[in-house]
Amino acid sequence: MQANKEADFTLDLRGESCPYPVIYTLEALQGMKKGELLQVITDCPGSFRNVPEEAIAHGYTFAQEPVKNGQEYLFYIYA
Amino acid sequence: MKAMLHTIFQRHWNPYVVLLIAGLLSALYFGLTSTVWAVTGEFTRLGGDILQLLGVDVADWQYYQMIKLQGATWSRPDGWIVWGMFIGALMMVLLSNSFKIRLPQQKRRYVQGFVGGIIAGFGARLAMGCNLAAFFTGVPQFSFHSWIFIVATGIGTFFGAKLTRTLWWKGRPSLVRGAAQPSKVKARVIQPYLGAAIAIAYAGVLIYFFATGQKLLGLGALFGLAFGVLIERGQICFTAAFRDLFLVGRSLMAKAIIIGMAGSSILTLIVISVYDLTPVTQIAALSTLLGGVLFGLGIVMASGCETGMMYRLMEGQLLFLPVFAGNIIGATFLAYAWDHLSLYDALVKHGDKINLLDTLGPVGAILSTLTMLAVLYALTLYREKSYHRNFELNRGVK
Repeated sequence: MQANKEADFTLDLRGESCPYPVIYTLEALQGMKKGELLQVITDCPGSFRNVPEEAIAHGYTFAQEPVKNGQEYLFYIYA
Repeated sequence: MKAMLHTIFQRHWNPYVVLLIAGLLSALYFGLTSTVWAVTGEFTRLGGDILQLLGVDVADWQYYQMIKLQGATWSRPDGWIVWGMFIGALMMVLLSNSFKIRLPQQKRRYVQGFVGGIIAGFGARLAMGCNLAAFFTGVPQFSFHSWIFIVATGIGTFFGAKLTRTLWWKGRPSLVRGAAQPSKVKARVIQPYLGAAIAIAYAGVLIYFFATGQKLLGLGALFGLAFGVLIERGQICFTAAFRDLFLVGRSLMAKAIIIGMAGSSILTLIVISVYDLTPVTQIAALSTLLGGVLFGLGIVMASGCETGMMYRLMEGQLLFLPVFAGNIIGATFLAYAWDHLSLYDALVKHGDKINLLDTLGPVGAILSTLTMLAVLYALTLYREKSYHRNFELNRGVK
């Protein structure tokens, strides 16, 4: 369950419904320095797909595969 | 077997496949019953039922005469479409062990959902249908009102997306330094058993309807269930189709809906000509345009339309309780305003029921529909490209 590298920032989006997980994630990544690692915790089922797909479409890379943790997902994204 | 179960329950299904199946099923449902897959008409009737329970006599409201408020919701096929969708979605959520009570951190969402729900409910009924009857199942009926509705919804959604971007609306996320711990996962898994129990009970209801000759109720319950399963597993969000294009240049849902409508249109045309059916045509008037704009704005404010909120509520996203209540209140208020506040005379009376099959003939109708969908598809691609071009430019500047 641990990321290979400690995350620099965490965005805890548990409870938030779409589209806010995507908006918040992209904005957080935009505000961070290049190379910093963002951990996203989300439980909106729509965001399991649109957060990773949009992060990639916006040019960010994943530090590791998404982690399914019960009814939520964890994403590790480099800004 | 395990891999198949994993694909069905642990993954969300491809939206293109889901919407194509939904489009074909709705054409089939029309062939069997001469009615379309729709939900907000029943929401309006639910509002009427509640008012009558409270002792308000709505029998002489023109709108309820038009949409036929009769019997109780479980004796109406449209009612079973709605309950079937709820139950189908809940069943899949439980079978995939993904139910969880989800409460938004931003308390403002409840107010946004309630107000947005009212606006969307009011707008949908003013335009005679939400993104089903005036969109996804309206276009394949060749009812011209759905063309107006699509454009109007696009306009409303555009302004909704602008609103969503403002800080006072979206609120600040809880971004913290360092890593945080995820929730503890429960070791005991009981949800799939509950899902299976619901599936068995519902099968009993279906058998009862067909065995006692209540074919229309049985079909409503069966197709409602199928639609519920599909929208949940495909995460079919009509709100996202337009909104996410404007917000983040995301085109997946819009493209899948357009493909689904194209498939549905072709099959519906075949069904209409083979069985010699009359397509369901709604009035096209100023009310369609206004209703569509309000609907588009409302669904973005509420984060979900009348269809999307159904499966989200079943996933345990409690935000959608006030949205559901708002939808019913908005739809019921429209039913009141229709004659009591002269909305009909002002906005609807001068309109006309236009069906492309009558005005253009079958070949013209399908060709123009497919052309319109192709234009929508091209616009979607264009918007996605231009969004990403701008994003790259801004990043370069930064």
